[in-house]
Amino acid sequence: MRLHLVELILFSTYAELRAERARSYLGLLWWIIEPAMNMATYYFVFAVILKSGGPDYIPFLLIGLTLWQWFKSSVSHGGYSIWQQLPLVRQVKLPLQVFPSVQILADTVKFLCILGLLLVVLWSLGYPPNITYIALLPVLLVELIFTAAASYVMAAVVPLVPDLRFVIEQVLQILMLLSGVVFSLDGVPQGLRRWFELNPIVELIDAGRGILMHAQWPNWAALGRVALISLALYALGSLLITRLTPRYVKLPA
Amino acid sequence: MSGPIISMENVGVAFNAQLRVGSPRFWALEDVSLELHRGERLGVVGRNGSGKSTLLRTIAGIITPDRGRLMRAPVSCQLLSLALGFVRHLSGRDNAILSGLMLGLRRREIIRRLPAILDFSELGDFFDQPISSYSTGMLMRLGFSVAMQVEPDVLLIDEVLAVGDSEFQQKSGAALRERIHSGATIVFVSHGDSQVQQVCNRALWIEHGRSVMQGPVDAVLAAYHAAGHAGPADAGR
Repeated sequence: MRLHLVELILFSTYAELRAERARSYLGLLWWIIEPAMNMATYYFVFAVILKSGGPDYIPFLLIGLTLWQWFKSSVSHGGYSIWQQLPLVRQVKLPLQVFPSVQILADTVKFLCILGLLLVVLWSLGYPPNITYIALLPVLLVELIFTAAASYVMAAVVPLVPDLRFVIEQVLQILMLLSGVVFSLDGVPQGLRRWFELNPIVELIDAGRGILMHAQWPNWAALGRVALISLALYALGSLLITRLTPRYVKLPA
Repeated sequence: MSGPIISMENVGVAFNAQLRVGSPRFWALEDVSLELHRGERLGVVGRNGSGKSTLLRTIAGIITPDRGRLMRAPVSCQLLSLALGFVRHLSGRDNAILSGLMLGLRRREIIRRLPAILDFSELGDFFDQPISSYSTGMLMRLGFSVAMQVEPDVLLIDEVLAVGDSEFQQKSGAALRERIHSGATIVFVSHGDSQVQQVCNRALWIEHGRSVMQGPVDAVLAAYHAAGHAGPADAGR
């Protein structure tokens, strides 16, 4: 039973990526071009126009955006996934965690391509590989769990309250600004800063920048805390999906 | 003599009529009771909107009853679904695998059956083309060929007995009849009498979401017509 679901998730992910390639002329190239255009836009606004970046701004921005985009696209794709598959949900009995999982996996494959490119760019900018790269694995794993958790919770709720679709993008936008993705949170007053650091994304991006730019080991205690919160949220999201499944099929078509 | 593999007692199912806070619920099934034994072929008759399809999806376990009792022995129940989960930009081959996985097959089982699917669907070289290039008839052929690979303990059929153009209709109809009469347990929903007579060995009549009568096919159909429903001269495809 379990193995069958793993096969379904993997093959659906392949199908998703394959279909995406077929939907445009440039196909897979968009995996790279789209985030690159996105990065160029932020660089232009914050570094060229506002002159707000420091000497390290390019790697700072690239790392922040790469880690953020992975979270953001997984949450928005995963969050809509059950809602978009309602016609299928009415026809066949499946654990619905399959649908957000497929979206998260597909976005993770794309993220890994961009990460590979990011590393090459960083090396060419003079930030060579270092021993702390080992810590990248746990950091990315924790981000994956947190991302999956947020996607599951959204995926569970959106079918019942489709209006949330209009809110999600805005919330993600605000969350990005509060997560120190495009500008440093160093300027935030000490009192407020404590609140900012409750945001798991801040912790994860900080850890990523530490490793890739400064050969710094992550703050393990903070990372462990984020991991625990993420696991709890993941369990909650999965439980929500299971509990709410009987209600999805009874929604108006 | 073993007990029923599926039994329902006074089952009711309610849907949300629309996405509004406090909108009333609509009872698609009000009060249905039935028993299904292994090897039985149960025909469900009733008018459009009487709750036949909802009943099938409840038996399949897709819909959970809001009241009453539903008991199911550990058996697999599957709706005969054509083109389940098909993705437009994928080839017929990939869609066959995807759809098979959704229907509960293991990947290696589907791969083993791909030659049979290709053969039965008569798609030839089109099998490796994206299904967006298929005609409706070709899609039906692929969908049917994949659906027939699944062998659940209880097969649930909603109206569809044959698909495609006239030639393929004969072939698909024959394949399905063979499956039905090979000792499988079937629940078959139809408003065509002659089909129920051909296929089933017991019948259930439901009306406005309530089970009115169940028993031998001829007796149930006679009572159904006596209550003023379409006569035996209806269109049997």
